[in-house]
Amino acid sequence: MTTAMSNKWDAGQLRLSPGRRRSDTRMRYVFTAAGVTTLLITLLIIYTLFKDAWSFFWNVPKADLWTIGWFPRRGMYDIKTLFVGTLMVTGVAMLIAVPLGLGVAVYLAEFARPRVRKFLKPIIEVLAGIPSVVIGYFAISFINPNVVTWLVGGANKAFNIASAGAAVGILTIPIIASVTEDALRAVPMSLREASFGLGARRVPTTFRVVFPASISGVVAALILGVSRAIGETMVVAIAAGAVGGGLFSTDLFQPGQTMTAAMAALGFGSDQVAGDGLAFQSLFFVGFLLFLMTLVLNVLGDRLVRKVREEY
Amino acid sequence: MISKRWSAVAALAAILPLAACGGDDSSSEATEAPASSAAETTMAPEPGLSGSIFVSGSSTVEPITTAVAKLFGEANPDVAIQVEGPGTGDGFAKFCAGETDISDASRPIKGEEAQTCADAGIEFIELEVAIDGLAVITSAKNTAVECVSFADLWVLLGPDATGRNSWSDANDAAAELSAKVGTDFGTLHAPYPDAPLTVTAPGEESGTFDSFVELVLAKVAKALEVEDDAPRPDYTASPNDNVIIEGIAANDTSLGWVGFAFVEENLDVVKPLQVDKGKGCVEPTPESIASGDYPIARSLYIYVNAAKLAENPALEAFVDLYLSDDGLAVIGTGEGQIPYVPMNAADTEATRAVWEAKEVGTRDGGK
Amino acid sequence: MALATPASHGASTAASLTTELTGSKRDVRGRAVEAVLLATLALSLLILVALVVNLVQRAWPVLSGRLGDFLSSGLDASNAAEAGVWQAIRGTLTLAVIVAIVSFPLGIACAVFLEEYAGKSFFARLIRINVRNLAGVPSIVYGILGLTIFVKFADGITGGRTVISGGLALAVLVLPVVIITASEALRAVPQSIREGAYGVGATKWETVRSHVLPSAAPGILTGTVLALSRAAGEAAPLLLVGGITGLLRTGDQGLWEQITKGGFTSMPVAIFSYARQTGADFQAVTGAASLILLILVVLINALAIWLRNRFEKRW
Repeated sequence: MTTAMSNKWDAGQLRLSPGRRRSDTRMRYVFTAAGVTTLLITLLIIYTLFKDAWSFFWNVPKADLWTIGWFPRRGMYDIKTLFVGTLMVTGVAMLIAVPLGLGVAVYLAEFARPRVRKFLKPIIEVLAGIPSVVIGYFAISFINPNVVTWLVGGANKAFNIASAGAAVGILTIPIIASVTEDALRAVPMSLREASFGLGARRVPTTFRVVFPASISGVVAALILGVSRAIGETMVVAIAAGAVGGGLFSTDLFQPGQTMTAAMAALGFGSDQVAGDGLAFQSLFFVGFLLFLMTLVLNVLGDRLVRKVREEY
Repeated sequence: MISKRWSAVAALAAILPLAACGGDDSSSEATEAPASSAAETTMAPEPGLSGSIFVSGSSTVEPITTAVAKLFGEANPDVAIQVEGPGTGDGFAKFCAGETDISDASRPIKGEEAQTCADAGIEFIELEVAIDGLAVITSAKNTAVECVSFADLWVLLGPDATGRNSWSDANDAAAELSAKVGTDFGTLHAPYPDAPLTVTAPGEESGTFDSFVELVLAKVAKALEVEDDAPRPDYTASPNDNVIIEGIAANDTSLGWVGFAFVEENLDVVKPLQVDKGKGCVEPTPESIASGDYPIARSLYIYVNAAKLAENPALEAFVDLYLSDDGLAVIGTGEGQIPYVPMNAADTEATRAVWEAKEVGTRDGGK
Repeated sequence: MALATPASHGASTAASLTTELTGSKRDVRGRAVEAVLLATLALSLLILVALVVNLVQRAWPVLSGRLGDFLSSGLDASNAAEAGVWQAIRGTLTLAVIVAIVSFPLGIACAVFLEEYAGKSFFARLIRINVRNLAGVPSIVYGILGLTIFVKFADGITGGRTVISGGLALAVLVLPVVIITASEALRAVPQSIREGAYGVGATKWETVRSHVLPSAAPGILTGTVLALSRAAGEAAPLLLVGGITGLLRTGDQGLWEQITKGGFTSMPVAIFSYARQTGADFQAVTGAASLILLILVVLINALAIWLRNRFEKRW
């Protein structure tokens, strides 16, 4: 690409030609515009959610926000039901996805031979491609009958939070694994070599040198995973049970309701709900809360990353 | 080396659109190919017909309209048709915004929805097309109960039934209810046996849930002058009828409800109960549902945009087919039929008369 | 998070390293850790196997009975014996193309901005947090966005409830995934490569175009793969934007008219529709459609992964 430079040159060639300078400035604008676009998307999301969320919040009787469960069509908008349901699903998902995802990433990046890695990584990435509808039906046709109810006798035989959470966890494994693995491999080889040079073996090198060095990527992976788990809609809508509404429950092995599943039930419509203004507006209200939740989480995550990040 | 890498990226970008375009081309052939071979339909092809028809609304009615649309499409390959089923409420929202030509509905249009339509200057023709009965079911092994009244259903499944995990838990409530409404809602079968009451039924998002509330619990609630007409929340809810059947079959003294047509396929494991609304126990059969003797049945409708009829000849031909013998024959319990109950002869005639006269407005709805 | 604690105990590292250095000759702990890691991998693969076996089992009546017919039939919510996935496959591929056209250039451009241009400014941090946050916004919210903005507000451009609106909603949905993974890939390019370019007098853009982007291309491809498979599997936004669930006949509409005016469906939307129909026949159809979607996604992945592996580079 640099063959344009002729063998004979003078100092004047060091100066940028106006054309090159123009194209450099132009591209700077193009890239900045792309960055601004993402802000625009956020503003559009806030705009679409906020209007109805606001109107819902002012019109709903406040007592209805703290009742026995989430039944929008009975005028019960118990936010804690959705909140606890979402936390439980995310918790179960992380219980599965964090150890498996990190384990797979560390193995592939630090232990596996290159040929093994080249063969296995795509297979793990296939897990990322499994559509959430497919995983949702897998949860009710396999995970619940064959795993969850087998392990826990009293678990609800049709739907429960644990199965839905496990399915969401499966979806999250490859996200955590893939991003973590990339981060681990981005750590310069020289760091490993220095560690080996000091006589450290592979395990301490991995966990004391490579892992801390890649912490920003690992935290990014975990945040991506948690965000995905909180926001996962279809799996929970299919496998967690209480779709249209649900009683407040902290039982992992009974049906439960999450923010996203509640939104899905409202958003896809049913025979009556779309006609009821307040119930439909609650969709935007829950959406807005969810948006705020992920925002707080991500700002926290960002601070964490900046605090622990090391520069090379 | 660098250019090689980029050409690989470009190759990826180039392959994808090609795959998609190939898909588009051969697919239009694939959808049209069966049309010529499936000339067995009795409809005379009307070669001049083209344009498009967009149907939205109830997911319950969606399969019926889909089946009719297939018939229609075979005879009229040039007409573009879209059928979707987000729900009756969503359907009317689109219909009254002028987005759709026909709105499927599993209940009559509500007053506020009709008002929205009127405000938008949209006139519609309301056509009943089929009947959907709800069966109250228990396990086939349950011999203790044959008939339930609306009053029984209120104390076993109504809003106050929360926490009643045994049939006998409802005994006190039954006595109380009996004192208030007498036998207006049928004879109470209390005292109930001391047996576990496990309830499996559709969830709130389902049209079948709505119908049960509207046809049974809301009627009792009205008589009792209480506002809450929703069923007890503590039951196993499923949007999948197969799961409901499994839940009912798994427990000997279970109770629940599903669409009637679905019970007929599963008579070996579940038992549909007779229902009493104050006029004696009635067994659910296609005849008793179509005649209205069986009390838990609802009509299914299509609403046709009257103004679009004039500008879209395909739309009129489509509704003509829908209400013809061929069109209505898609409903029934035979192989490949849509499992709802066909209207009886009188109702069919009434619907056809409304259509012939292009009578606008609602007779059943507006409330 | 427990694994991350060594970073905060940097002071004790030296002491423990000494212990490591004077430890036993046979690396028992190393073997044990490796075995545990291998077990996590095996378990992950086992889940995948269970999923596929379960799907094949459910789908078997369709796979063994009428696979060809199933692949070539259109959407049909009325009769399991005639239902198929052809239109849904076509819809998913068309959506994937729109997603690729919109989100790849935009996402990669944004990543370049963040990693190469923006530096550590407040503006850059704002966008970085913003992108992370967008990644966590639930897909159904993008459905609401698609409905409000692409279907209703911009219907003059998108044609309303068309495949264009659906594709745009999905493109916005996967944009943060593209940006985040592309950023990671760009960050992994050693500074020396940039310095090499600057050293011969290249401008920033020339450096990015001729050195940084090509070096980061394999990593960027990983991100685009993840994004495409995510887009191909999404149902929730499309159901809100208006994916057709019952029947879709294109009539005499030309290809262009179908895209700009007609309705659309996709594999996840079809699966959602088939799953809610009653009867065991439709369950088999649902299983078969799920299996085919899985295969479709694997094929998209395989193509890009092959490209990535071919050009992968390590420093």
